[in-house]
Amino acid sequence: MAKLKSVFKMNHAQKDVGKLAHALCDTMLKDLEGAKRPTLEAVKCSLDNAIYNSKVGFFTPGDKRVKTELNVSSVQKMARSVFLLDIFLENLKAGGVNTKREVYYRAKGWIKKDPKLRPIDFEVQEESDSIISFLCDALEVYREELNCVANDRGGQTYSQQLIVTENLPDGTKAHIDLGSLGTTPFQPKNRPQSFSLKMKSKIKFCLVVESEGTANTLVTNGITKRNNCIVVGAQGVPSNGVRGWVKTIQDQLKIPVFFFGDLDAYTLQNIYRTLKSGSAASLIRNKNFCAPDVKFLGVLPEDVKKYDLDCYSVKEKDASEARSLKKARDALQNDPFFKDAKNKKLSQVLKWLLKNKIRCEQQALFSVDPKDITVPEKIILDKIKNKIYI
Amino acid sequence: MSKIKTSSTAEYFSKNLQQVGFSSPLKAVLTTLKEAVDNSLDACEDSGILPHIKINISKIGKGSSRNTDLIKIKIEDNGPGLSVQDLPAVFGEYLASSKFGKGQCSRGQQGIGISAATTWAQLTNATGVCVESKTKNMQQAVSMVIDVDIKNNKGLVKKKTSIKWNKKKHGLKASFVIDGRVQLNGDGGLITYLEGTSLVNPHLELDYTLLENDPVSVKRVSDVIPKVPPPTLPHPHTMKLGEFITYSHLYGKISLSKFLKTGFSRISDATIKEISKKNKIKSSLLNLSLPKLLDSDFKKVFEALQEATLMNPQTNSVLIIGEKALEQSIHRIGDVDFFSVVTRKPRICDFKPVVIEVAMARLNDTKGKDENSLQLLRFANRVPLQFDKSSCALTKAVESVNWKAYGLQQSKNSVPSGPYVLAISMTSPFIKFKNASKETVDASEELVEEIRKALIQTGQKLGRYIRKEKKEFDLERKIQHIEKFAPILVNALVKITKAPIKRKKKAELGLMKILGRDAKNAEAELTQAKEKLK
Ligand SMILES: Nc1ncnc2c1ncn2[C@@H]1O[C@H](COP(=O)(O)OP(=O)(O)OP(=O)(O)O)[C@@H](O)[C@H]1O
Ligand SMILES: [Mg+2]
Repeated sequence: MAKLKSVFKMNHAQKDVGKLAHALCDTMLKDLEGAKRPTLEAVKCSLDNAIYNSKVGFFTPGDKRVKTELNVSSVQKMARSVFLLDIFLENLKAGGVNTKREVYYRAKGWIKKDPKLRPIDFEVQEESDSIISFLCDALEVYREELNCVANDRGGQTYSQQLIVTENLPDGTKAHIDLGSLGTTPFQPKNRPQSFSLKMKSKIKFCLVVESEGTANTLVTNGITKRNNCIVVGAQGVPSNGVRGWVKTIQDQLKIPVFFFGDLDAYTLQNIYRTLKSGSAASLIRNKNFCAPDVKFLGVLPEDVKKYDLDCYSVKEKDASEARSLKKARDALQNDPFFKDAKNKKLSQVLKWLLKNKIRCEQQALFSVDPKDITVPEKIILDKIKNKIYI
Repeated sequence: MSKIKTSSTAEYFSKNLQQVGFSSPLKAVLTTLKEAVDNSLDACEDSGILPHIKINISKIGKGSSRNTDLIKIKIEDNGPGLSVQDLPAVFGEYLASSKFGKGQCSRGQQGIGISAATTWAQLTNATGVCVESKTKNMQQAVSMVIDVDIKNNKGLVKKKTSIKWNKKKHGLKASFVIDGRVQLNGDGGLITYLEGTSLVNPHLELDYTLLENDPVSVKRVSDVIPKVPPPTLPHPHTMKLGEFITYSHLYGKISLSKFLKTGFSRISDATIKEISKKNKIKSSLLNLSLPKLLDSDFKKVFEALQEATLMNPQTNSVLIIGEKALEQSIHRIGDVDFFSVVTRKPRICDFKPVVIEVAMARLNDTKGKDENSLQLLRFANRVPLQFDKSSCALTKAVESVNWKAYGLQQSKNSVPSGPYVLAISMTSPFIKFKNASKETVDASEELVEEIRKALIQTGQKLGRYIRKEKKEFDLERKIQHIEKFAPILVNALVKITKAPIKRKKKAELGLMKILGRDAKNAEAELTQAKEKLK
């Protein structure tokens, strides 16, 4: 499939999935005509093929690739792949989108119509999902580029100064003035390349909050009225939509971005690390789907001391907590992100967590002065002003 | 029936019935059945009769002890029968046996079994055993009830009458009514016992009715009556000092040297000479009559024997069921898919002759039993062992084999799983059991290793079937794959590329070639696997 790669490169600037797919299928067909086994090749997306360079700032793929060669065992997978690819191409032509579950049912619909297709029927959605990931890896495209969309989760955004222009698939544009939305947040779709951002007046920073509830509280209590800023709710582990969106804010507005969440191993490893540098599972898309300049504002171990914050003890008897401790230990040993000298301060926080076996939640800031509901905002602003972040 | 030796031990056994298999109501039923069937089979073999045994077990009421039923167990055989004089000795007297200490591969060994069953009936239901018997010399059959006179270790005869048997020339019917509970399947089950018994006794014809179930009739698959080889003497190296002294009691007032020569295998005049010289045993001691020997004398002689290099015992005293007989018999346990049988050559393990035989079969229909658990059947001198599986030498050997290598599923160091029956039979004139109820074979390293070898041979044979089957499945799947998926793949490619029909045809041909090569390889592998089976 060497040819496929060159096609991909040629089209990299403006990926025409239709052409890409056509080239891929043509190569496969040619191989078949010559009684040669076609192969599909894809980047190996796992931690052992993830390279982290702090200068680049996110996980990039190594040389490892997974190859699928046509033989009696793989013929089913290949037939399924090309069959689904055809559905996606039709969608792209017509401008239709589908979720993975919808794709599953549409595939079943076609199979019901044509008895000859019955052998490739999908019994459960996992079967079609895995073919979709395989297709994306083989074509080196994002799922959204096949018009197969995820149910966008998280990314609720509040600001009085931000204006978003969205290029719609039909060529028209939409303008959204976030300052005019009242208490309703703006929630970005997972197509970062279709957004262009503008500021009505200079925005000083962007704050990404782990808990969507707490982000909403901060806004309701007036943080965006008192400050020229953007507040984004991450809603746990950031979805691709959130990651692409924060990256767009960072790159287009060139403002400092801060992350504020719990002080525990899970937040550091799964939420913050993914937002900052992407993940091993999405090696081919990290480039556009993470914000390497984001800073960890807290909660920090020093905040716990300074504000006398309430903590929970992490019990090793609890299976899930024990697992997360083990994962943290593993990360310190094997995760190139935490091993990098540039992120030493973050790995020190992980070590501190492992040593003290406690965790502190973002909402604990409310306990500092129960009379004052804006106390978290004050602490956050104070930390930004005094550069108390990592 | 040959000479019967007695000793007054009824009292001891009546208090310790748990030691001989009567430790629970459940075991009581199985043990009673087992002792009677063993005896019938032994008696038929001794007299050269092809056995036909009929069994009927029924619930006739509530038991007198808690949580028990009143169970009637009837066993009828076509054996030689017992004379009027012998009947009370056999059924009512402990240690009255023609086989005691003989060193033969017979099922019975001690002369305890059937009297213990009578005692249990008497203890739980106040009546001993009801027997009918006829030998070929008797005009009419005799019927009587026999109790154990526990104080005097004697059989007490009650209600003795003559009765007329219509057709049968000889045989024995025994009927016990006891407190007990019935379990049919599983490790301690009656059906498990009966199936196991018919597996290792291809010459047995068996009819049984258990509780309300339909009568079952198991046909004979071999007309060859197994010949139990003549008794052999124990090898001196198989005994402990205590056993050595007790064994001497059987020989009465003979001299020590005569005892050594006639009581053991592999001791000759020359060996005695050599041993006494080496160990300074005086000829006066050698000529002393046994009862006059002190324990210290026994000890000295015993130790000298242990140190001496003696020839291994001969192996011709072991009984072999044989691969052919097992092959015929294995089909009686169910609908067998395929099987593998192995009979090892007789070996010496721990100075005792022993032969290990293994039969393993995969069943098509597990008759409602658990599909995934392998049924392990253990046999010692053709008697099924049904309790205390884990500490048995036979089980240990099974666990030590890597069955995965033969295509079976197995978690580490345990019995493999799947719809299989694995029967291991050990025959030896001297089987060392862990306890008097003869439920587990003592696991010596040498013995476990010998069983292991037999199992590995069985596994290798079976593995060939399993591999062939896998290859067959592989080939079928591959051919199916080509037929099903190839056109879908080509059609979709053609649709996306909008290729002309000419390209489509060519691609289809190419694809067939590629996948056809795969199928051909699979076919070749299958042929190879089939060849190996032959
Ligand atoms: N059904 C029978 N037909 C003929 N003879 C029998 C029958 N049952 C028992 N005998 C004779 O009675 C003897 C005593 O039987 P018993 O079961 O008490 O002892 P055993 O079988 O020698 O040893 P074990 O205690 O190991 O069973 C047997 O050795 C056999 O000679
Ligand atoms: Mg017996």
